[in-house]
Amino acid sequence: MQTETRNENLIFKIPKSLKEGTKFPFCPGCDHGVAVRLVAEILDEFNLREKTIAVSSIGCSVMLYDWVNTDCVEAPHGRALAAATGVKRTNTDKCVFTYQGDGDFASIGLAESMHAALRGENITAICINNTTYGMTGGQAGPTTIMGQVTTTSPTGRNKEYYGYPIKIAEQIALCEGTAFAARGSLDTVLNIRKTKELIKKAFEVQLQGLGFGFVEILSSCPTNWRMTPQESHERIRKELFSVYPLGVYKE
Amino acid sequence: MTKKLTKGNYAIAQAAINAGCDGYFGYPVTPQNEIGEYMSKKMPKLKRAYISAESEIGAINMVLGACSTGKKAMTSSSSMAIALMQEALCYIAADELPAVLVSVMRAGPALGYIYPAQGDYNQAVTGGGNGDYRIIVLAPSTVQECIDLTYKSFYLAQKYRNPVTLLADGLLGQMMEPVEFKDYPYPEIPNDDWALTGAKNREPRAIYSLEAKEEVLEKRVNLLFEKYKVIEENEQDFEEYLTQDAELIVTCFGSLARNVKSAVNECRKQGLKVGMLRPITLYPFPVYKIQELAKKTKKILVIEMNMGQMVRDVQLAVNGKVPVKFFGKAVGKWIEVETICEKIKKEIGNG
Ligand SMILES: Cc1ncc(C[n+]2csc(CCOP(=O)(O)OP(=O)(O)O)c2C)c(N)n1
Ligand code: SF4
Repeated sequence: MQTETRNENLIFKIPKSLKEGTKFPFCPGCDHGVAVRLVAEILDEFNLREKTIAVSSIGCSVMLYDWVNTDCVEAPHGRALAAATGVKRTNTDKCVFTYQGDGDFASIGLAESMHAALRGENITAICINNTTYGMTGGQAGPTTIMGQVTTTSPTGRNKEYYGYPIKIAEQIALCEGTAFAARGSLDTVLNIRKTKELIKKAFEVQLQGLGFGFVEILSSCPTNWRMTPQESHERIRKELFSVYPLGVYKE
Repeated sequence: MTKKLTKGNYAIAQAAINAGCDGYFGYPVTPQNEIGEYMSKKMPKLKRAYISAESEIGAINMVLGACSTGKKAMTSSSSMAIALMQEALCYIAADELPAVLVSVMRAGPALGYIYPAQGDYNQAVTGGGNGDYRIIVLAPSTVQECIDLTYKSFYLAQKYRNPVTLLADGLLGQMMEPVEFKDYPYPEIPNDDWALTGAKNREPRAIYSLEAKEEVLEKRVNLLFEKYKVIEENEQDFEEYLTQDAELIVTCFGSLARNVKSAVNECRKQGLKVGMLRPITLYPFPVYKIQELAKKTKKILVIEMNMGQMVRDVQLAVNGKVPVKFFGKAVGKWIEVETICEKIKKEIGNG
């Protein structure tokens, strides 16, 4: 029997802030798509779509402009928060956010990221922590945890060769210009919901002109972790929560 | 209008304000610090953006962001610090954004020193980014031209949606001359068909350089080069001085032209048929003018405060029609009028 799907009966819709027919190119089981969707849902909730200028970064999410239904400019690798600063300072009435990988945000772009927080830019920044450089094939990055095997840490990260990982949310929380800094995860439905709340707050502080709004999101990379999606979420719980505790670090 | 004694760097900064610059983003480096200092005073009062960026990389990417929204934005810097901006400049060119960069040259290579020099011709004209792209480059030789060409930089950047570099040097930046601040003389170019202003009552827009489909990427580069062709046809600019009957033409750019002009005058008094050609647009290079002069003159002498950079563009334009000689030095006392006179006499004497 064929049933008719009526728009008013739909309980799960594509947010207006995502382009119609969006097909994420992410690997199966990758959390990037969930995170992008959450951002789009918040843009809808605050009715921001038409006044938003997004800034994309270089990494697996580089084509952000193909998915978000807002204006968008691509920044060179690591420079999203500098570009976003230029956008926001000359367009103070616009909503500006960056969506970046952890390599982009906290390695090559650490100076740009931290100084945007220190300046207290009224910008929202979302950083996907998947403990590796996803797009280039899973090399050791700034958030790779001790002992983690990657394509450039074949025997595991050790302090002698690689030093220590960065705890991004904690560092950003230390910046006086930061109005909100938190870390969420997408491993369970509950955590997805909680992370959505964090993203909401990170936009709220921008709208209220309070300063820098930041959410770090622990995110799976099944491809480079050489795991199934389920194993990836298991790994987040077992190995990452202790190194990168979830929570709000500055409010 | 009365003339005001003004330092080159201040002249550039005030001209940028007059041109309607909405945002200045910069990081200190001598010999152009007065530009950022002036902007930090003036821009906030005008409710325009001013930021002391964390680095030149930060500054130029802020310019990228601001320009993507159709705002007029600029940065200023020097030499090894301009080197840091090359990646973003290349993105700006690929994205077709109207950015203005002021480059006040010091002596290199690397840290070198704050002595004035002209060693960044290649850096400005050929650039250090990847792939095929061009940046318009204007070279002033007086403080008045610092103003006029800053205006023109903003105009050409908007007109062609292309980055423009104003290439000055430490001498120009630091010297004072009486100048006149006329109003910005150019029309405003509409940008409502491309600028990012929020997707209200229209489809969302995106500005990016990534292009995964090779045919599309090739087409994009070809389109850029169609634009460059138009720029090359329409925007070649130069100053020509006593070239009509000249048997020797001295070619130089920027502030060195001041000494060259004096030397030409001196030699003319002694009956020598010598003239000067000064490219004002280093890109697009005034090839048509040089080709025309190469048909009339016997020899071209290129003089630069570097070890020979613009000379290659002159050679390409002359294409073997007449001999092209070079004299230059990398750093130190600006090549003096007497030295230039000697060189001129030697080249004319050598036939
Ligand atoms: C200047 C520069 N260096 C290197 C690269 C190559 N590169 C592209 S994406 C990337 C890493 C992306 O990792 P991350 O930011 O963690 O994002 P993810 O792909 O994991 O989402 C690198 C190194 C580049 N594009 N530009
Ligand atoms: S490489 Fe990793 S981060 Fe990138 S799309 Fe695939 S799973 Fe996601």
